[in-house]
Amino acid sequence: MKQILIIGNSAAGISCAEAIREYDQTSKIVMLSDEDTPSYYRCLISYYLAGDVKKNNLMYKPQKFYSDKNIELVLNKKVIRVNTKKNRVSCEDKSQYDYDILVIASGARAHIPDIKGVRKKSVFVFRSLKDIKEIESLLPITKTACVLGGGLVGIKAAYALRRRNVEVKVLVKSNQILSQVLDAEAASLVQKRLEENGIEILLGQDADEIIGEGDIRAVKITSGKIFGCSLVVLGKGVEPAVDCVEESDIKVNYGIVGNEFLQSSVPNVFTAGDVCESLDICRGKNAVNAIWPVAVEQGRCAGLNISGHATVYPGSFGMNSTDFFGLPVVSLGLHRIEKDDQGLEECKVFDAAQGTYKKIIIRGDRIVGAIFVGAIGSSGIFTRLIKEQVDISSLRDKLLEDSFGYPDISGLIQEKEQSYV
Amino acid sequence: MKKKFVYKVDKCLGCKSCEIACAVAHSTSGDLFNAVNEFDALSPRKKVYASSGKNYPVSCKQCDEPQCVSACMSGALAVDPKEKNVLYDETRCVGCWMCVMACPYGAIKPDKKSKKTVRCDQCKDKDEPQCLKACPTKAILWTSS
Repeated sequence: MKQILIIGNSAAGISCAEAIREYDQTSKIVMLSDEDTPSYYRCLISYYLAGDVKKNNLMYKPQKFYSDKNIELVLNKKVIRVNTKKNRVSCEDKSQYDYDILVIASGARAHIPDIKGVRKKSVFVFRSLKDIKEIESLLPITKTACVLGGGLVGIKAAYALRRRNVEVKVLVKSNQILSQVLDAEAASLVQKRLEENGIEILLGQDADEIIGEGDIRAVKITSGKIFGCSLVVLGKGVEPAVDCVEESDIKVNYGIVGNEFLQSSVPNVFTAGDVCESLDICRGKNAVNAIWPVAVEQGRCAGLNISGHATVYPGSFGMNSTDFFGLPVVSLGLHRIEKDDQGLEECKVFDAAQGTYKKIIIRGDRIVGAIFVGAIGSSGIFTRLIKEQVDISSLRDKLLEDSFGYPDISGLIQEKEQSYV
Repeated sequence: MKKKFVYKVDKCLGCKSCEIACAVAHSTSGDLFNAVNEFDALSPRKKVYASSGKNYPVSCKQCDEPQCVSACMSGALAVDPKEKNVLYDETRCVGCWMCVMACPYGAIKPDKKSKKTVRCDQCKDKDEPQCLKACPTKAILWTSS
């Protein structure tokens, strides 16, 4: 009997297993998770810490899912080595698993910056339920926290802590927050909203040292100033969890390189999710897009290919949406034009009275990026225009109008089913 | 069995009766005269767009491969295993707007008041969608494809 081994038990791994089971009821599927909890909605951890989501709503797939689909789930198994010659993986606890087909959906892990004192107690990353539970346990004795990093993770951590009445300072190395997903204009709107709600943001500042013996007492920043705080959250980005394949012949660039079938350089090894590097259609080259919907899509695509239904992965692009104290924000694909980007143009509309901002980035006649702040209702249509690489030359004047909607693009796209007759 | 909307574009006058019926049907009071007082909180799930001189009502199309469900990271959206329509558990929505960003029709809207997504539920608690009843020209059809 064929054995399919999946490393990882989150969005990508689970959607892969589900897709395999649509066509293949007989192969044995084993999923290995390095966490001690069944699968949960990882993106909800900040909402959970904020108190917006109850613990029982965090659960992604209950035990019944695995038993119904005849999937064996093994928790607390951290894979440390993949041997592609023997088709075998080895775990930290010395156990080994053989496979005929391997799926690496090991996800990402938080980057630990090289800062003096970063290994101290009460310095946390913001990645797993375990991290959040540890932070939560300290909240009763936490008055002031410092978040290092102004990316989505850092800002969401700051939001959650603020909601729990903790005084929060966010140290942002660059000169804007959310520099990986927003341009300066959009970032300043979001920053204003965060500040109005009591989150202090320091731009152009990084931590030099985390001070304290045993417990944390303060953070010293690059300007030399020292802030008192008893909790530090690291939001300095994530990196693909590729350690287990480093000694193997599976090709790793930044993430594990997946081809158009999400197959790695070793034919019986597939990859999906936050660990997978594959075609980014906005950048026109490979990239890791570590987001939930991409993980679900890639897992499914890998699963279909494994079950013998050849499916080409059309490529992904970065897409993020969130809400900061009532200010909705969406970012798709490219968010700014870098100096060395040739042939890109941008159009934007800023409505100061409404507090809304929309921008699109165009290459030739195709949209390759968009930002929406305050008014995000039409963003899904832009997701589609980007995904299907629709020629928008006939739409240019309409794109940023408030009245822009699906009917404006319906003549330019192929629908399986017609809703308008 | 899953039912979908089909629109006869030539019949649509763009009168927005469907929008009003939808907003009223999803208001707290449920009737027009009281719903008017909830004006700020009203949020129709259907919207009529004009394009090239014609009118197109837009609301959830009950896609066969719903992008909103793949994008939902809170468990609020799911595909009904039997009927195959999209189910929405509002109590689980956290207002992350992933579904808004993923909908290829722009048919899902963020409701700033409730901080939850609003989307057509085909008036699941009523005998049929209220937009259907309200349309004076019978431009809206509700069929099981």
